[in-house]
Amino acid sequence: MTAFVSRMAWRETRAAWRHFTYFFICIALGVAALVGVGLFSENLERAIQREARSLMAADVELRTSRPLTPEAEAVLRRLDGRGVARMQVSELVAMAAVPSGTQLVELKAVEPGYPFYGKLRAVPEDTLTALFTGTRALAEEALLIRLNLEVGDTLKIGHAEFRIAGVLKKEPDRAAGAFSFGPRVLISRQSLAATGLVQPGSRVTHRHLLKLPEALSPKAVQGELAATFPDKTVRVSTYQDAQPMLRRFLRQLTMYLGLVGLIALMVGGIGVASSIRAFLKEKLETIAVLKALGAESGTILRVYLSQTLLLGVLGSLAGAALGAAFQVALPPLLKAWLPIELEFRLALLPFVRGMGMGLLTTVLFALWPLLEVRHVRPKLILRRGVADEALGSPGRMAWAISGLLALALAGLALWQAGSWRAAGLFIGALAAALALLSATAWLVVRLARGLSRWRLQASLRLRRGERGVPWRTVRLGAPGAGGCKPAHRSPFGGAHGPPLQVVWRQGLANLYRPGSQAQTVLVSVGVGVMVILAIHLVEQNILWEIGENVPTDAPTFFFIDIQPDQRDAFERLLVERGHTDARLTPLVRSRLWGLNGQQVRRESYEDREHGWYFTREYVLTFLNELPKGNVIANGQWWDGGGSSGLPRVSVEEEAASRLGLDLGSTVEFDIQGAKVSGRITSIRKVDWGNMSTNFYFVFEPGSLEGAPMTYVATTRVDPQEEVALQRATVAAFPNVSAINIRAVLDSVAQVVDRISLVIRFMAALSILAGAVVLAGALAATRFRRIYEAMVFKAVGATRLVLASTFAVEYALLGAAAGMIGAGLAIGLAWGGGHWILDVKWRFQPAAIVWGIGATIAGTVLVGFLSTYRILGQKPLPVLRRE
Amino acid sequence: MIAIRNLSMRLVSGGREVSILDDISLDVPAKQFLAIVGPSGSGKSTLLGLIGGMDTPTSGAISIDGRDITKLSDDELSRLRLQKIGFVFQSFHLIPTLTARENIAVPMELAGDPEANAKADELLQAVGLESRGHHYPVQLSGGEQQRVAVARAFANRPAILLADEPTGNLDTTTGEQVIELIIRLNRDHGSTLVLVTHDPALAAHADRIVRLRDGRIASDDLQHRASGARP
Repeated sequence: MTAFVSRMAWRETRAAWRHFTYFFICIALGVAALVGVGLFSENLERAIQREARSLMAADVELRTSRPLTPEAEAVLRRLDGRGVARMQVSELVAMAAVPSGTQLVELKAVEPGYPFYGKLRAVPEDTLTALFTGTRALAEEALLIRLNLEVGDTLKIGHAEFRIAGVLKKEPDRAAGAFSFGPRVLISRQSLAATGLVQPGSRVTHRHLLKLPEALSPKAVQGELAATFPDKTVRVSTYQDAQPMLRRFLRQLTMYLGLVGLIALMVGGIGVASSIRAFLKEKLETIAVLKALGAESGTILRVYLSQTLLLGVLGSLAGAALGAAFQVALPPLLKAWLPIELEFRLALLPFVRGMGMGLLTTVLFALWPLLEVRHVRPKLILRRGVADEALGSPGRMAWAISGLLALALAGLALWQAGSWRAAGLFIGALAAALALLSATAWLVVRLARGLSRWRLQASLRLRRGERGVPWRTVRLGAPGAGGCKPAHRSPFGGAHGPPLQVVWRQGLANLYRPGSQAQTVLVSVGVGVMVILAIHLVEQNILWEIGENVPTDAPTFFFIDIQPDQRDAFERLLVERGHTDARLTPLVRSRLWGLNGQQVRRESYEDREHGWYFTREYVLTFLNELPKGNVIANGQWWDGGGSSGLPRVSVEEEAASRLGLDLGSTVEFDIQGAKVSGRITSIRKVDWGNMSTNFYFVFEPGSLEGAPMTYVATTRVDPQEEVALQRATVAAFPNVSAINIRAVLDSVAQVVDRISLVIRFMAALSILAGAVVLAGALAATRFRRIYEAMVFKAVGATRLVLASTFAVEYALLGAAAGMIGAGLAIGLAWGGGHWILDVKWRFQPAAIVWGIGATIAGTVLVGFLSTYRILGQKPLPVLRRE
Repeated sequence: MIAIRNLSMRLVSGGREVSILDDISLDVPAKQFLAIVGPSGSGKSTLLGLIGGMDTPTSGAISIDGRDITKLSDDELSRLRLQKIGFVFQSFHLIPTLTARENIAVPMELAGDPEANAKADELLQAVGLESRGHHYPVQLSGGEQQRVAVARAFANRPAILLADEPTGNLDTTTGEQVIELIIRLNRDHGSTLVLVTHDPALAAHADRIVRLRDGRIASDDLQHRASGARP
């Protein structure tokens, strides 16, 4: 019996391979997406593991925003005796100036021996040692281009002049973030002192790098330091936690990519279901014959299930190969931005998972139609017109098995996503979207039928010369105008082009007639449109928010690190140059020390979601007036008057809720070792998009006096004034850095664009799968189409009429799928933007109209490619065969 | 062998109930060659289908070797057909995706016969198509297709052969050849043959002729012939 099943399955596949091309491609595309993402993510993970020490350039790192206290230095010195090598690296932004111009740079000062791990690449190769023999610098090519410099030239940073010793190509431990302030300049720590840039309150990151002897484990040293280090604001991490932002980002990116890939597979699944259904419709006679010959239902079910599995395995294999090929395409998209080298390697796990999901999807979607073979009765062959027999309902067993398979698939999706929450959200959203799509598709098909009947009745009434035709008839009939005219001319039109009434009626009728695949097509194309359009809408919203959503009066330049004794002079300089709108705001760097009298232990928040509200550095300020773009949500702003007891503090709404603060709560900050407390007297809503200096915590004036502080100046600068202003400020205040908001936002936009390109690459697979489903659905109705077309031809329809009929059908399908998809995309983009990405929503009619238009064009194109050959058939052979 | 008692079949068609078979009772002894004749619409094909367990009657019983088949499930009916019944249809009903040899092998494969292929070759030879085994149904003429179907019907050496207008889609000469083949194989295998036809010339070969009219037995005549098994 098993021999018969496998033999029969093979024979059926051998004969019907053309029929299963769409099935095959559908599964292959879905599996390719998943295997592609899986391999990409494995390769990333491996590269990060491999280069983990290089990414930190050390075994253990202590990171802080201020110089170490003498006690802390003593703790570190004690490590020297245990064979630990140590060095310090300082990172800050600064202005580089030459006589012809200025440029904001990311300055990094290192000590001899840097880096402990990894390799710094520069041209010429050995220039790193030259850094420590005087005031020399290595600069990235970008800086040389922007300031028109060459190796050997000098540039001024702060108060010091540096000779450019070489071009910096790559440094192992450069943080990969969403944007950079400018090109990198590498100098020695010795010469950093000469720049005079490091002053109390300056924004500097100090990194103490440790290289441990074999005998010491990084984890143990980290634990020891965390316990004994006197300065609790120092963050101690091992190379295994290097670049946490990068890792988290990549993990999320691959998770989203995986979920987008899963959508492609689901669309593929719909294609599988429709292929199997169409195939079995053609196989009804064979099934009935087999039953008449004595085959049991179970045997026949096994034949077609084996066949489906065989095709599922083959499709999955092809998909896996394609997914591996994606490894050539994906990394280059991110290359410019990734600090690590990806190598092409194959891992088993992504293959196993991708193929497992491919097979499960195949079975899940094929089972439903397959189970219906049990209801085929052998008596079918005693009658004529076998093909019109409707398949029965699959019954309770189908529900049970499908439920089980769906659970298994959900489990795999969970494995793919790696997070309960994300997988749950995804499965929920996908199920809801599919249900909504199916319901709408059903409605559209019903509507088409209703519309068509109604038109028919209206036109009959018209022919009978009845009056009182509803006004809507006129409008609906308008495309053809034929609906309103008594049909004196031929039903197929005369010399005046195709008869629109016939064309519209026939095109519309194709959507709802028995055996129509309109619903399948609507759902699968709709899903594709939904995904790709939603991604586009989210991207556009992000770009809009960081690009055009900037208020027209927002400052375009930030000047940072203005020392208190430079404050007045700097303000004068701005005013003299006409920048009367300039605002100087004091900044005090601090860490959260206590909440309501309880000390905050950073260890307990490190791994929490939103834990960074507890562990981050807070920039405090004191102000007289409520800043622009801020609204008091609760409590009162101080309007003059003194306070008894603790200084009054205003906190931002989101931070208040994350930190559990309310009116009357107390907060304590550590400002360079000194503790400052305050009491919350107001909670503010802040419009973070206003591109001004915004603060989580604002103190009342007078409460932060004596704290080390710097000032930030903000002002609007005309583009033609930018260069001159930067030059003037750098000349007078070499330690002050000018940040051009426009340039920063542009670099963010570039990264957003890159990332969305990668995601769109994956989303394109679901659109492709949707197109395959469409082509497959049209192929499934091919015989009926040919027959009908030939009947039309026989009674005098031209090829133009036939083509127009098809065009109307495909355009209607495309329009409906596009509109449903767009509607869901709007919901998805809004939800994603609102709950996940925290992006403001803006309706984008142009993108939506464009999306619907593209769907119509695509549907008509794919439809024509699938069916144009029908037009050239000759009626006689076709009709005689019938 | 085959015992039919008070068999009725009614169908609802176009909202009206139509009686196809009305209170038929009939016994067919083993090895008899029975021809069922009658005008089209008289219910002869339905009767044949019911004997083969292809459908369930409205009322009445059909026993094959003493077992009432109207009480059997779909799968039990399939097993019954596999073991005891061979079918030949008017429109051949070969499986289009299988070659002639594979079509013949299917019932034997279903029965788990390890020599299905070899036996299929023998059967091909028996119906005179030994050189056409690798051809697909569309590559065969109507007569050839029906000879393949006849070979398939005899594959599992069934006790009963049911033939529904086996020459209806063939020209006269080919039809003659096919009916001779059926009769010869039937004689060689010693099976009960029930033939539905509206062609009196074909019916003349039978041991017994049952005439149906409007779903009832109009006449039941034994033929006195020199050849063929006698009840």
